[in-house]
Amino acid sequence: MVHSKQRAVVVAVGLLAVVAAGCASKATNSNSGSNNGGNKSSGGKSSGPFVVGYSQSNNAEPYRAQLNLQLQYYIKKYPDLKLLPIADAQQQSSKQVSQVQQFIQQKVNVLIVSPNEPDPLTGPVQQACNAKIPVIILDRSVNTSCYSAFIGGDNYVAGKKAGELAAKDLPNGGNVVELQGILSDQPQIDRDKGFRDGIKSNPKIKIIEHREAKWLKENATSTMQQWLAKDKNINLVYAQNDPMALGAYLAAASVHKENSIKFIGTDGLAIPDGGIRAVQQGHLAGTFIYPTCAEEAAAMAEKLAHGETVQKKTTLDITAVTPQNAAQLYTANDFSHKK
Amino acid sequence: MSATTKTVMPQLIRNERWGRVLAVLGSLQGYIGLVLVVLFGIISKGNVFLDQTNLTNAVGAFASRGILAVGETLVILTAGIDLSVGSMLGLASMVAAMSLVQGGIPPLLILPICMAAGAGMGLVNGIGATSLRIQSFVMTLAMLSVFRGIDRQISNNVSVGTQPVNSDGKLTKHADQFQMYGTPGHNIFGSVYYPVLAFIVVVVVFQLILSRTRFGRHIYAVGGNETAARLSGVNINRTKIAVFVLAGLLAGFAGPIDAAYSASADPLAGQSYELDAIAAAVIGGTSLAGGRGSIVGTLVGALILTLLDNVLGLNSVSDNLQLIIKGLIVVAAVVLQRPDLFSSITAWFRGITRSARSKGGT
Amino acid sequence: MTDVVLAMRGITKAFPGVRALDGVDLTVHKGEVHALLGENGAGKSTLMNILSGAFTDYGGSIEFAGGPANIHHPRDAQRLGIGMIHQELNLVPHLSIADNIFLGREPRTKRGTLDRALMHRSARELLANLGLDLSPSRPIRRCRLAEQQLIEVAKALSLDVRILVMDEPTSALADAEVARLFTIIRSLAADGVAVIYISHRLEELEQIADTVTVLRDGKQVGTQPMAQAQRAELIQLMVGRPIGEMFPRADDTADTGTPQLAVDGLNLAGDPLNGRTALHGIGLNVHKGEIVGLAGLMGAGRTEVLQSIFGVHPRHAVSGQFRIAGKRYSPTSPGHAIARGITMIAEDRKTESLVLGNTVQFNTTLSSLGRFVRWTGVSRRDERAEVRRLVTDLRIKTPSPATVVNNLSGGNQQKVVLAKCLLTQPAVLLMDEPTRGIDVGAKAEIYELMNQLAGQGVAILMVSSELPELLAMCDRIVVLCEGRVTGEFNRADATQERILEAAMARQAVLSSDGAT
Repeated sequence: MVHSKQRAVVVAVGLLAVVAAGCASKATNSNSGSNNGGNKSSGGKSSGPFVVGYSQSNNAEPYRAQLNLQLQYYIKKYPDLKLLPIADAQQQSSKQVSQVQQFIQQKVNVLIVSPNEPDPLTGPVQQACNAKIPVIILDRSVNTSCYSAFIGGDNYVAGKKAGELAAKDLPNGGNVVELQGILSDQPQIDRDKGFRDGIKSNPKIKIIEHREAKWLKENATSTMQQWLAKDKNINLVYAQNDPMALGAYLAAASVHKENSIKFIGTDGLAIPDGGIRAVQQGHLAGTFIYPTCAEEAAAMAEKLAHGETVQKKTTLDITAVTPQNAAQLYTANDFSHKK
Repeated sequence: MSATTKTVMPQLIRNERWGRVLAVLGSLQGYIGLVLVVLFGIISKGNVFLDQTNLTNAVGAFASRGILAVGETLVILTAGIDLSVGSMLGLASMVAAMSLVQGGIPPLLILPICMAAGAGMGLVNGIGATSLRIQSFVMTLAMLSVFRGIDRQISNNVSVGTQPVNSDGKLTKHADQFQMYGTPGHNIFGSVYYPVLAFIVVVVVFQLILSRTRFGRHIYAVGGNETAARLSGVNINRTKIAVFVLAGLLAGFAGPIDAAYSASADPLAGQSYELDAIAAAVIGGTSLAGGRGSIVGTLVGALILTLLDNVLGLNSVSDNLQLIIKGLIVVAAVVLQRPDLFSSITAWFRGITRSARSKGGT
Repeated sequence: MTDVVLAMRGITKAFPGVRALDGVDLTVHKGEVHALLGENGAGKSTLMNILSGAFTDYGGSIEFAGGPANIHHPRDAQRLGIGMIHQELNLVPHLSIADNIFLGREPRTKRGTLDRALMHRSARELLANLGLDLSPSRPIRRCRLAEQQLIEVAKALSLDVRILVMDEPTSALADAEVARLFTIIRSLAADGVAVIYISHRLEELEQIADTVTVLRDGKQVGTQPMAQAQRAELIQLMVGRPIGEMFPRADDTADTGTPQLAVDGLNLAGDPLNGRTALHGIGLNVHKGEIVGLAGLMGAGRTEVLQSIFGVHPRHAVSGQFRIAGKRYSPTSPGHAIARGITMIAEDRKTESLVLGNTVQFNTTLSSLGRFVRWTGVSRRDERAEVRRLVTDLRIKTPSPATVVNNLSGGNQQKVVLAKCLLTQPAVLLMDEPTRGIDVGAKAEIYELMNQLAGQGVAILMVSSELPELLAMCDRIVVLCEGRVTGEFNRADATQERILEAAMARQAVLSSDGAT
């Protein structure tokens, strides 16, 4: 019928258009060098500006926002390194895959990746290695070891140190409640395990309640309110990130119990609303800085750009924030005013 | 009047009075869900659940979402939908925090500022859905992204605390006042928790608007049959734009509440709140097809959602199990909403017994 | 011809608050055309719905071709060979004619895909039998109401039926189409198919029916051979009261002088995609107290004239001069029209006039809420009083003003629409097919009302496809054809032939290019 013939023609034209667009975009990709400095030679040992591409999993997370700030700051210290605009995958692995592939197309000199998830990002990282681009992996792993360097913190250690702090702050034992992040997130799993191992030294410490508050402050507030309504005897709150710790603090403050309970958080971001400041103000008994790895990443990027080899796996320390060192740590880590 | 008229009138009046009583009570079945949740709470955690502080906390935690749900109900009644209410709330919350901290604006002025900002956002949605003829689903989905982007941009992806301190470590005067908007433990007029009061006032005001004003009737007409409404003289575009503006206004109204509750505005605040708002409306009997629903129903839906959360939390039900239970309860609550529920069940029953009889009989 | 193919005995059916059928018997023979007559709400549609399996729950028994029949699902009825053509069309607007005809039983090729070729061939054949020259792949929404009605007939005919029920099959058809339909019915009867024919058009029944059964208030009140039935007797059986004048048009109440409504040089841009006929240079006047009829075939542009006056079309599509009581009037929107004293009853009450899911009170006061506004909002008490008054005055059969309009019968729904219009206290009343699908009793009431309104000085402009109605009720009749005025008759001069002549431009009423 006339209709189905028309439809077939339209579909055919549509397919042609899609194929044409695909070819065109490939062409433009390899030509989009507007952000590139002058030299486009891939990985050669010339001394021209070296292009660094960074694929971030999610700009929205405060920790990663800090990471971005710090990375930009540290890369600026190397005049021959040029950082392309950071690619934000907005927590979508599929998006990150195409962003990494675009960096490969652009023939960056060094590729830094904070993978959203290990499995989907394994392929593109392998492709980068095949294209002879040195790759630095930050914090979360992938399922190939072809990369040049892995830098990360240890969430298990973060949890364990928190547990040890709890054991120290409750010498005669006590009741602890735990606020957890999204249960299936690897950092949650590691920090949880670490904390429980950390409190083992004092068998009189018991975890009487634990709940998934999904890393969110308001969830922690309402959960803590429910716990306070039930259990009159909470001695310490351990939260796997600072917003949850502060949310619990608000709940305790609403019934004037903030001084009889201790709060331990994790993250230690140097922002006005963050954990270090909270320790300074006496709201948190302590928190733990999970390293952004930005400084080390920048240093390794410089080395790799010049063709040197670097340490394959680097695990950075977790810094404990105490009332004594809080002020100084804040100043050291505050990148809001640094250029 | 003829003889028939004389007998018709009293019958009409009698039928009407009964119908009116039923109407006021609303769809009785909707309350069954709420009663069940409350019973569950009383049975499992008696005095802890019924404690005034606990109930205030439970309602207060949901208050900003409940206020969003009221605005969402208005939009859904016109057969539209607003997916951007969560982002509007997030942006309003950030505006509130930044006005307080960076603008030094007195807290009482912050509320109208946020409401104006919200109304402006709602106006954009309304114009897109009417003059630009973009389906409301698509328009508000796009705005969800736009407003969130603006939120993150003005805050630079960093949360803004609302408890800035002076050099002597005490809260600034404005920050102290701001806490009245809902920081836990801070009440106004002595013992009234503002988020709960605000939610109830919003519910009452908008229920009155829907049921008593011409505008309310127009909303039901536009959702019930847009063509018939237009031919009856209702200004369709004006009504639709108005409900979107009101949804935005309410999101702005809830902004300071959200910021005060967390004592900070997070650039990601309010994410997926639109789902809670829509769920509260739907559980409360509002039909997504438009033309049917009420604010009182949305209140019931909101209460069911938050009290259920509270009850499950007090009973330390595991997180995964909570997800399953909550989903099932939503389905059950919506099924209970159906006005023809009982007659369908008896009809189905009769169908089964009849086929059993006919198979056995012959 | 004496074999009984269907015997329904003692059928009872109740809905919440309403006893729709109370022990009804119906006997139909092979090859018989059996008419079912009754006011709206008498139970005809309910009885037929039971026969076609729409209800699982009813009392009484059904015998089919001598044996007991268990009909509780549409599939049961289909299996027995009972086909039903509903008054409300059951077509899917976005699918094609062929798709609709074969909906649910599409033929497949050996590979399992749809056999479109077969569907189109069969569809074309069926359409040709009905005199329709349409492409089977045309989507339903592009077909006119009359065409859609005939497509429904085609759909039923494509099934192998032994009993065919037709519910108001000619309400949208013109005379030529009705004649063709009757030919088909007669040939079906000759083949032994029994036809149950529901209609209010007594003239049609006199032509086509063998037997007539009258229902009233859910009871069967009479069955007789059509040849012996007197029209007045049938009407009396239906309404239970003697009706004197069927069409009581009172004395001439028309004013002279400045017309209440004056239309001059009305041009409307056509929109074939949405079925909007273009108008060219339409001019007409309606004086106070006058009833003017607008006649013409389907697609002549009658509805468009009313819509243009009422402000339904976008401003840029309409041009012309309009005056209300001499003052200039610019139709910008329905709300503006209502404010100027013009109100309109639309053609399709279910989709255009009523919020079906809401109550009688809600619908009645929708256009005139301003009357009830106090500082505390809309006064429900005042509303209720007004609505009760109208329900009584218009004799709307409803349990209460809080009844949902969807539960009312068609005639009562139309009365609700009328009540809504009356509450706006119009000076000009536009009516588009006001008595379509309404029983005789309600029709008479509406005519009475129109007389009253005219007596009070309201100017009425009425579109109708029923020539007897126009001839009896109107002081003047304006005839349209293809968007132009082709005739104007006073009451004294008008005859059916003259009107039809002016209304017809071509022999074939329907054509596939959509223009008439």
